[in-house]
Amino acid sequence: MLNKLRSFFTEFANIHRFLLRFWRELVTPPYEFKEIIRQCFEIGWKSLPLISVTGFIVGFVFTKQSRPSLEEFGATSWLPSLISIAIVRALAPLVTALIASGKIGSQVGAELSSMNVTEQIDAMEVSGTNPFKFLIVSRIIATTISIPILTFYVAGIGLLGGYLSLASKDDLSFLSFFTQVFETIGYQDLWAMVFRAVVFGFTIGAVSCYCGYYSSKGTEGVGKAANAAVVASMFLVFIEEIIIVQILAIIN
Amino acid sequence: MSKAENKRAVIVGLFVFIGLAILIAGIFILGSQQKKFTKTFEITTSFPDVAGLKVGSNVWFSGVKVGIIKNIHFKNLQDVEVVMTIEEKSAEYIRKDAITKLGSDGLIGNKIIVISGGSQNAPSIEANDFLRSAKAADMEAMMETLQLNNQNLAKITTDFVEISRGLVEGRGVVGSLLTDTALVSSLQQSLRSISQVMASANTATSNLVLLTDKLNSKKGLVHDLATDTAVFASLRSSAAQLQGVSQTANALMTNLNAASNKLNNKDNAIGTLINDPTVGNELREVVRNLNTSTAKLDQNMEALQSNFLLRGFFKKKEKETKKANQQALKDSIQ
Amino acid sequence: MEKAKTHIDYQDAVITLRGVSKSFGENHVLKNVDLDLYRGENLVVLGRSGTGKSVLIKLIAGLLKPDNGTIDVLGISVNDLRDHDLMKLRLKIGFSFQNSALYDSMTVRENLEFPLIRNKRNLTRTEINKEVEDVLEGVGLSQAINQMPSELSGGQRKRIGIARTLILRPDIMMYDEPTAGLDPITCLDINSLINEVQLRYKTSSIIITHDLACARSVGDRIVMLLDGKFERQGSFKEIFETNDARVKAFYDYNFIV
Repeated sequence: MLNKLRSFFTEFANIHRFLLRFWRELVTPPYEFKEIIRQCFEIGWKSLPLISVTGFIVGFVFTKQSRPSLEEFGATSWLPSLISIAIVRALAPLVTALIASGKIGSQVGAELSSMNVTEQIDAMEVSGTNPFKFLIVSRIIATTISIPILTFYVAGIGLLGGYLSLASKDDLSFLSFFTQVFETIGYQDLWAMVFRAVVFGFTIGAVSCYCGYYSSKGTEGVGKAANAAVVASMFLVFIEEIIIVQILAIIN
Repeated sequence: MSKAENKRAVIVGLFVFIGLAILIAGIFILGSQQKKFTKTFEITTSFPDVAGLKVGSNVWFSGVKVGIIKNIHFKNLQDVEVVMTIEEKSAEYIRKDAITKLGSDGLIGNKIIVISGGSQNAPSIEANDFLRSAKAADMEAMMETLQLNNQNLAKITTDFVEISRGLVEGRGVVGSLLTDTALVSSLQQSLRSISQVMASANTATSNLVLLTDKLNSKKGLVHDLATDTAVFASLRSSAAQLQGVSQTANALMTNLNAASNKLNNKDNAIGTLINDPTVGNELREVVRNLNTSTAKLDQNMEALQSNFLLRGFFKKKEKETKKANQQALKDSIQ
Repeated sequence: MEKAKTHIDYQDAVITLRGVSKSFGENHVLKNVDLDLYRGENLVVLGRSGTGKSVLIKLIAGLLKPDNGTIDVLGISVNDLRDHDLMKLRLKIGFSFQNSALYDSMTVRENLEFPLIRNKRNLTRTEINKEVEDVLEGVGLSQAINQMPSELSGGQRKRIGIARTLILRPDIMMYDEPTAGLDPITCLDINSLINEVQLRYKTSSIIITHDLACARSVGDRIVMLLDGKFERQGSFKEIFETNDARVKAFYDYNFIV
């Protein structure tokens, strides 16, 4: 019990040290721009198809499922407002973050831990490259950039999905749909979406890198690291969502 | 930098660019809808009760959104002051004497401010103007008006009861009109004669039209007749006769007019009419006159038809119609 | 198979360890050890798995910090070196890792370029290509230049790993279990490659292994790491002319067949 508690706090200290090191390495030269672009490509661009499809389906299905309950009140004309609030305020960042946790978390966690296991990280270090900067900082920056960008895609495509679902039943013009969509949301909703996405992106990147970089040796460590990266980042995304919602409620 | 790296950089750039474009498009659409990027100025109004109006709610003028609520605060014990931002481009259509009301944009929708009224010659509103507010068309006010309407309706029906009783008892012109059968039958007769006269006049005039057509077309018997000066003189006399007939008809119409004018006369209020039986007698006289005069008009028209000069024309026309009828019969048989 | 004699300068120690200790929790891997590596020498460190042989070279490279003692590399103390200077010093040391440690996501060419591009930024594309081709030629794998590491055999990967370290022209080479997991024929190839490197690039090397055949063919001097201490030093013959049961056991195990 005492050991468990001790290892828990050791872990906490490690995470703390990891984050401190991230910020230190972030601001000191050299800067790995090329690697950041490469990681944006691997993390952002390659997740785009999966996340776009998910976003479309979420928008489409959400609209379809919401219709009957609004129909009961004869309030189907409120569907665009409902979709816009749901997607911009909650679904777009959350869905993106969860899908990204799964895809990027496992990808980065497994990649880094296998590099760790096969001593590639050591090899990098002894051949004159700071692996923390090259591997960790670039990946965390890439997720912090890519996930907000992916969130914007999901929001756009999700609203499109909602529109298509609506248009299949109602004769609603694209323009009037979007007018209604933007009538319901405000700037604070957009900024909240961006803020959330940035926080989620940083979390997913940091958690996945931490799990991968400090994985235990051996092939078992790879699986464990990938799993831990996904579980921990999803869990943290939810925790952060709760906190952010509370903070926004206080601000407004 | 290698080729693959270059391509990657381009793709990442595109990916980030489109993503940001979506966000920026969102911001601008939002901005244009919230009128953040159009020129605006502030005006104020005040209400005793804003009924849950919120900052950010819309301001409508003639059903068009022209601004939003910027601020709501207490001004003094009775009034809540509401500050609105109004688009500059809409402001020129809103007059200084326009009135603000509280409304809603749907049955259960958000509260809004509706600007209405304003006279043509008042100047347009300017920054920091104050608009008067009118009481909202709430349910209570509506019920009050309805109550007033009901009372008026009740009064009207009592009056009607009075009038209809008078009618049934045969008081006044209208009453005697309804009850005196002799008057009715003579009135009917005179109306019938009038319609007869009108029919004859009709045929006469249509024949005249035909005749003048023929005259203008320079052929046939009538043309020959017309070119002969001797015949023309007698034609003129008959036309003069016709004029006389129409003058008589005219006079008759004037009489009729005068009679009906008397009926319409504003000095003779409906009350006096009802209570004065002598007017009824006069009316009876008028109708009888009408009868005789129309009989005379009828005779005149018949005389016109048997006039020797025009007799030929009428006969010919009769023949033509017969022929046309026969032709039509033939066509239908075939 | 005895190796050819090379010139060794026993007056010039490129690596000096004095009183170095390192422990992981209760596991005392190194207990107050001293060691010298002389210029031009191939020093073989023999030991059983898990006795901390790899820890030794990680200490030398500054990947780990010793609990006690001093480590000098090329006359510079590694202990309290700043990150930047440590990075520079490491460029003079080449590492061949046990699992080759090739970057899986890069082709052979990219693997070899990587240290060059990142450390010598003023090189032109043609110069880089020439270096890569030269060093690949040196390990006899020119045909594999555009392959991915996963497409290569264990021996080939090992050669590429060695080539990648050689591209920076190091003064010192560290081989961590160069023959582990390879078949005997490939082992012989790797052994001769290690000797070739010593001759051609004039390197001083530490070879960590538990393979006596390897130790005999590449080692100018051999030390045995037993229970965290260097027990015996000398040539291959000198080492095993002993009655120490622990050394005997090691010898018997390796030549049991």
